Order: sequence, then structure tokens, then C-alpha cells
Amino acid sequence: MDILYLLIPLSVSLVFFILGGLWWAIDRGQFDDIESEGARILEDEAM
Amino acid sequence: MSNAACYVPLSAPRSWATDTSAGSLALIGPSTVAAASASTPAPAFAALNDPQEWPAFSKEVTGCEGVWESHLVVQGMHCAACAMTVEQLLRQVPGVRSARVNAASQRASVVWDSARVLPAQWMGRAQVQGYALLPANDAFAIDTRRKERRAALWRWLVAGLCMMQVMMYAYPAYTAAPGDLSGEMEQLLRWASWVLSLPVLLFSCGPFFSSAWRDLLARRIGMDLPVALGIAVTFAVSSAGTFEPSGPFGREVYFDSLTMFVFFLLSGRWLELRLRERTAGALDAVFNRLPDSVERLGADGSAERIAARRVRVGDVLRVYAGETFPADSVVLEGSSAVDEAMLTGESRPLPRGPGDSVLAGSHNLAGTLRVRVDKAGKDTRFAAIVALMHSAATEQPQVARLADRMAKPFLIGVLLAAGLVALWWWPRDPAHAMMLAVAVLVVTCPCALSLATPAAMLAAAGRLATDGVLVRRLQALETLAKVDTVVFDKTGTLSSDAQQLDSAQCRPGTHPDDALALAAALASHSRHPAARALCEAVQATAQLGICQAIAVQETAGQGLSGQVMRASAGRGGHLDAAHCDTDAVFDVGSGEAPRAMRLGTAAFCGVADAQSDSSSVMLADDQGWMATFQLREVLRPDAHSCVQDLQSMGLKVHLLSGDAPGPVALAAAQLGIAPERAHARCTPADKLARLRQLQSQGATAAMVGDGMNDAPVLAGAHVAFAFGNASSLAQSQADLVVLGSALGAITDTLVLARKTMRVVRQNLLWALLYNAACVPLAVAGFLPAWLAGLGMASSSLLVVANAARLARSSQTDSAMQALQNSKPVFARP
Repeated sequence: MDILYLLIPLSVSLVFFILGGLWWAIDRGQFDDIESEGARILEDEAM
Repeated sequence: MSNAACYVPLSAPRSWATDTSAGSLALIGPSTVAAASASTPAPAFAALNDPQEWPAFSKEVTGCEGVWESHLVVQGMHCAACAMTVEQLLRQVPGVRSARVNAASQRASVVWDSARVLPAQWMGRAQVQGYALLPANDAFAIDTRRKERRAALWRWLVAGLCMMQVMMYAYPAYTAAPGDLSGEMEQLLRWASWVLSLPVLLFSCGPFFSSAWRDLLARRIGMDLPVALGIAVTFAVSSAGTFEPSGPFGREVYFDSLTMFVFFLLSGRWLELRLRERTAGALDAVFNRLPDSVERLGADGSAERIAARRVRVGDVLRVYAGETFPADSVVLEGSSAVDEAMLTGESRPLPRGPGDSVLAGSHNLAGTLRVRVDKAGKDTRFAAIVALMHSAATEQPQVARLADRMAKPFLIGVLLAAGLVALWWWPRDPAHAMMLAVAVLVVTCPCALSLATPAAMLAAAGRLATDGVLVRRLQALETLAKVDTVVFDKTGTLSSDAQQLDSAQCRPGTHPDDALALAAALASHSRHPAARALCEAVQATAQLGICQAIAVQETAGQGLSGQVMRASAGRGGHLDAAHCDTDAVFDVGSGEAPRAMRLGTAAFCGVADAQSDSSSVMLADDQGWMATFQLREVLRPDAHSCVQDLQSMGLKVHLLSGDAPGPVALAAAQLGIAPERAHARCTPADKLARLRQLQSQGATAAMVGDGMNDAPVLAGAHVAFAFGNASSLAQSQADLVVLGSALGAITDTLVLARKTMRVVRQNLLWALLYNAACVPLAVAGFLPAWLAGLGMASSSLLVVANAARLARSSQTDSAMQALQNSKPVFARP
């Protein structure tokens, strides 16, 4: 069970990593409008 | 000119005579009328081409001169596909650099090049496809709102994610058999929990700490103070337990309870924010609208459409039927009827001709007028009302919140209990005394207590939103439950715009039915409310069409004149004179000779009658006066039941109206309002004074109103209701906005508010009982950390589940249930 001594600190850093990702997503406005983004793929205009 | 103008409403898609929403018409009138009538005023958003108007809803893109980013409210969108359509429409306009439309918030932002395109061009583009773009006048507030929203989401996610992970670390401590968990491993788990609780404390709890600090600075105690204290103490104790297990605070840790508590609280706040945004979204159309524009005539006769607020004293304006006067002015040319109901409460259209003055904010009903501006801006009656409203709003009485009132005794009780415990144990064992005092503080962390009110309020507000009542201020529900007086405005609130025939007096030898048939023949050519009332009265006796009128001329605001004759008996009934060509159908040979007749005001009919007032219509022929028809306004169909329901619930109902004493007394009698509680001829200041008088007598008053003249009294009332079609000024002061026009919604909201407060009280009682039971257990040392955590969680869930009962029942069921629940007050004789 010694592996836990590695895994627990690892899980803590993983949480911080995920939090960092969330912050990035929120700051980029990815949660501002979660309804119309899904439909954007159906647009047929060339980008 | 006047003849052409009087027929405009016939072809307009929405005619002012049939539409009850005079208030909303005032907002969008110019554009709809413009679209419909032949003598088209320029589109209302042409005023947006004026660069002076741009900064209100746009910002110049930094670094690119002449490139602006505009924020807009989009109306008429139903789904994400609509958002894409609008986006594409806007992008196709040359000069528009980019366009983004948010389907959820119904907002758009457009970047455009002012050298190549003007706002009216791309706004018109979307208009053609049936979407309406309105400038978002709160553009500067959008950035703040977005930042606030993102911060709230971020705090909530941090708390949620960390809570889940801390639960994971706490799990072994709860479930491991004695001896399974080595001391080192337990220490490691605690250390990990501490690290993950840190962001919760630092980021997520910010609002609680800052609000508690504000309360402390203001020397008052709100619910956030015990919350902040609980969080701080719990974290400090748990940190001490982690790093110094043998220290004075003991070795228990409460990281899981702490993070869960914060997550619950933030979930409540996040939902509240979402609800507030949705409410704001539904009211966007009200608060963001085209600048009122008006046509200014130059000295050379040229016409130019300008924003209403740029009107100056001395300007000559042309105001079309359906438009609102931007300033107090004098009529130079033309005749019309104006509707001053929004300003004065006067329920009938008033005739206006050359030399008469018209008020800013009143509504031009019939003809096109040329007016000279007399007073503009701050000097108008309208501006005086706004000033009165602002002063009333600052003096609005506040009812102390139940939860905040409880916070102080609760905090004192908790601190006292902890202090007593410490004092009691100190002489014997200082370390143990400290530990117990801290345990008391931790278990009394007011989790359920602080959730009790918002959970119930949110559930109730959500239910109301589906029933078409928007709650703009959540606390209004609490105040509403305490209301004992309801004050109604009459015109537009309890009554509709339509009129009804009350009685008729005729000259000797004339039968009233005959006179009515003759009058209706003329009246069927007009859409004036009085004319419609006469037609409806005749329709009720199935006599419409017995008489026919030809060569009818309408003098706006005065009356109708024409040749009337009796049609052949066989023709009766099937002719709708308003919609057919009378010359072609009329059989001249079959009736008597046509008689020249006039229908309208006493002056128009050439009758000198001291008794006539604006509520009567005269009929005259070549021999002079023939008949007088008395009209009265029509109360809304549900007005009577609404007033009766409110009175049977034990509320005092008052009526404050700006209308004449006659109609007010009549309405009060019909509705069962005591004469001493119905006041007529009230100016906005009178209304406010009467309300203040009621409040000084100890009444908690709710006000229901719709006009601009109601805005000050709405601002001064404890709780204010406005309808979705009320004037925007009234709505801006309302705590609750009822979409649609059902007065029953007011009773329903009141019943639900009382029910909500019942649930809040149950919740608070439960939370207090839980804390009261926990303190002795904690003092006696019978409450291990895991049990305290479990107790906290279950009491919070219980409180939320109890609140959810408010949202549960469906619309009709709940209304019935509410009626039954609130017996015996609803028992009718």
C-alpha cells in the first residue's frame, strides 16, 4: 500500500490541474453560452 | 389630412382601440405604425444613425478608428438556430465585421465600420426577417454582469470539485476498522484534505467573509456573520487538528463538513443568480428600447427624425397618430385626441386642437399634429414625476428580514454557550475547556439556518416564473406575506381601455333605440373607443345595419358627420359598414331621405349643454340636439373577484386614481371598495402622500399600478406590482412584474408568498431545534465529528426538500391547493 503515499499527493495535484483547466475555460467564456455553441457545427458557411 | 389619418388604424395590424396594452404601445408604437400606414414616418431606428446615440450601447474598438462594437437585445428568437440565422443576416451586411448572438441571454454583439455602414442599416436587415434588434442601453453594465457571473460560477465549481475530493479523503476515516488505517496514512489524508480546503476558503468563501466584514463595519448583524464565523472557526480547528493533533483544539478534523457546507450555500447563490438573470432577460425588452424619436420640422419645411431627448424648446415637431409627445408642447396645426391616462389617470381621450397644450409622455391617438415645444427635459410634468419617484424610492420602507432578525440572538446564544462551557471547564482542565468550546462553535455552524430562507424563496420564485410572475427582488416575497393593505390604481389596472354605453337621453318623440341605431351608423366608420362602445351596444340589440351612413367625415378628437338614412328592412344586419363600400351597397331608393347628422362632442354638434362632459357623446341632426349617450369604462372581468378575494383574505383594498370622482366612485361601488377608501383626482404627489399616510398608520402596503403617474407611489410602497403592459417607468419600480393582464395573479402570488413564509418558518424552526439539540451533546462530548457532519448535511437537505414542496405542484393544482390551504379566509358566503 506504499503506493498510496505517491497517489494521494498525485490526486491533489490532479485536482489543482483540473481547477486550472476550469479557470481557463471560464475565463475564455466557454460557459457564457452553452446553448448555441452546440448548434454552431450545423452552420454551412465556410469559415 | 385628418381624414386620411383617421383611417390609418383600420389598416394597421394592431389598432389602439382594441389593444389594451396602451403602455407597450407607447414603446413600440412609432415603429409599428410606421410599418403600416401609408404616410410613413421614417423608421424609428433612423435616430440611431446619429453618432451621439452610439455611446449608449456601443464602444469604439480600441486601435481601430471608426470601428464600433455594439451590444443589442434580440427579440423574437426561439432557439439556437434562430441565433445562427440572425448572426448570418448581420454578417451579410457589408461593413459589419463580425456578429455574435447568444441564444441563452438573447444578446448580440456586432462589430461594424462606421465609415461603411450605419446602425439603422443592419438593424433593419434583421427586422425584415421578423427579429427585432434593440440597443442594449445597459451595455456598460454587461461587462460587470459577465464578470460577476463568471466569478460566481468559478467559486461554485471550486467548492464542488474540492468537496468531492475531500469527501474521498474522508471516506477511509469513516469506514476503516480500528487498526486498518495507520497513523501516517491518516495524517497524509488529513494533509491532502487541508490542501484542498484551502482554495475553498480562499476563493469560494470570499463573498461570505466580505459581507460579514461589511456588516461588522456597519455595526449590524446579518446571517453572513455567523456563517463566516462558523467557517473560520471550523477551518482553524481542523487545521490545528491536522498539524498539531496534541494541541488544545483536539485532533478532530471537519474538512468534509466545511467544504460541503460551502458548496450548499454557493449552490443556492448560483441558482439565485441564474434566476435573477432570467428575470432580467424577460424584462430586457422593457428596459432596452429604441430611443424615442420624433420628426422635427425645419424652417424650410424639411423633416428630420431625431432622438426625443435632443428636442429643444422652440422646436417644431410633427407627431403622428400612435406616437408619444416628447415634450410639453402647444398644438400649432391639426386636431386629434390624446390619451393622458399614463400621466394623470384620466380614462377618456381628450380632444386637442390648435392652441391647446399637450403633455410630454401623453399619447397621440388620432390625427397628425404639428406642435411647438414649450418645455423640454427637466421642466416637463413627466420629469417632475420621475424626480418624485426617485425621492420616493430612497425613502422606501424596509421590512427587516426574518433570517437577519434571527441572526443576532442566534449568534449571541452560540457565543454565550461556547463561553459558558469554556468557563465551566477552565478551572479543571483548560485544554479540554478550549476543545469543548470550539466543538460548540463548530456544530452550531448555521448551515441549515442560512439555507432556510433562500431555498424557500428560490423555489417560490421559480414557480411564480412559470406562472408568469417575475420576481425582481427576492425579498419582496417576504414583505408581501406581511402585507395588510393593497392599493390599486384604477385606469389601466382595474379597468380596461374599452368603454361601454351606460344610458341614453333623447329629445321627446325619439325612441332611444332609434337614436342609437342612427348614431351607430355613423359610429361604425370610426375606431374611436366611444364609437366602438356605441356599435357594440347596438350589436347587442341586433339593430346594426338598420341605418346606413354615407359621406362620413371624421374630425379627429371632435366627432363624425355624415348623411344617415334608414336602409330597407331586408338589408338589416348583414352589412358591416366599416368594411364595405357604402355607396355600392346602399340602396338609396328603399329608405327615407338621407339626413345630415353629427355625432361627437357638444361643441362639434353645435349643442350648448352645460351638463356634457368627456364621458358623454351627442347626436344632432338638422333640428339640433337629438340624443346624449353616457358612456362608462369597462372594468376588467376579473377585477371584482380579485378585490373580493383580497378582502376575504383580510386585506384592506384602497383605490387611488387620477380620474374624475364620478368614474372612481362608480368603479369602487362595482368592486365593493368602501367609498372612504377610494380617492379620485389624485396627482402623483397626492397618491404618494396618501400611501405615506397609510404607512404612518402602521399599514404594510402593496401597490398595483401601471401608469407613469403610479411610478412614485410604486417606488414608495413596501411591495410594488406592475403588469407586463404597464409603462416602463412603472415597471422599473416594480418588485413583481405580472406578464399578461390577469389580476388573479396578484391573489395567487400573495397566497404563495404566505405559504413561502410558512415554509421559511418551518425551516428556521427545524434548524434552531437541530442546533439546540446539538449544543448539549457537543458539551457532553457525545458528538463525534462524523456525526456532527452527518447531522449538518441531513438538516440542510431536509430544509431544501421542505422548500422544494413550494415548487412541486403544477399550475392549476397548486392554485386549487393554495385556495384550500388558506381556508377559512377563502370561504365565501
